[in-house]
Amino acid sequence: MTPVSALLIFVALILYILGQLFLKHAMEDDLGSARFKKNFAVGLSTMTVSFFITLGLLQHFELSYLYPFQGLSVVIISLLAAAILREKLTPRLFIGAALISAGVVLVSLS
Amino acid sequence: MIQKTKKLLLNPWFQLVLSVLFVTTSEVFLKRGAVEAPRLPDEVNWTGVSGLALPDVWYGILFVIASFISWLYVLRFIPLTIAYPLSNVVHVLVPLASWFFLNEHISVQRWSGIALVLLGVLIVAKPVARMEENL
Repeated sequence: MTPVSALLIFVALILYILGQLFLKHAMEDDLGSARFKKNFAVGLSTMTVSFFITLGLLQHFELSYLYPFQGLSVVIISLLAAAILREKLTPRLFIGAALISAGVVLVSLS
Repeated sequence: MIQKTKKLLLNPWFQLVLSVLFVTTSEVFLKRGAVEAPRLPDEVNWTGVSGLALPDVWYGILFVIASFISWLYVLRFIPLTIAYPLSNVVHVLVPLASWFFLNEHISVQRWSGIALVLLGVLIVAKPVARMEENL
């Protein structure tokens, strides 16, 4: 893995996570408001860019190599939703998220 | 009857179930389509664009769009710390569907990973189920 591909994997993951957070933030808003449109547009764009970076990465790496990074998104999204969107993250929810991430990584290693 | 259906469709938990079922269905269609897709010259083949010639791929795309719409509805009502982990049940459903509909082989290690995902999903879902009962 070159530094460039490592960076691309990282960027794709971050943009996907940001996309989920922005879409969540947007959908809680008044659907007619300017703020909704802005957040929704940002969420949709970051997800789209992430999708195409991932598509490009798939040309160079096995899906099973890229999948674990996707698995990490569960834990990271839970933590960021708690930190940024002020959602309640109980220890139980965190343990559940951690098990799911571990499971996805295990699936892709086989 | 119509009232009941409407109530069900407006239930965010039902939409979450629909969303993951739509994703799973789309994956099976896309895989079936991708296998049948004609191989183009290497310069353009990587995009998967040749798949657009197949009905299966279009069914797959329709289900992706449907799942996204359901997911947006879910986001309006369910916290991300609950909805996102639960949506990962697709990592259980997609392998099961590939095994059942596409006759794919699943190794023991992969089954263990799938079981771990399922355990995590159940841990997240249990207090939610109790919460819903009290409503």
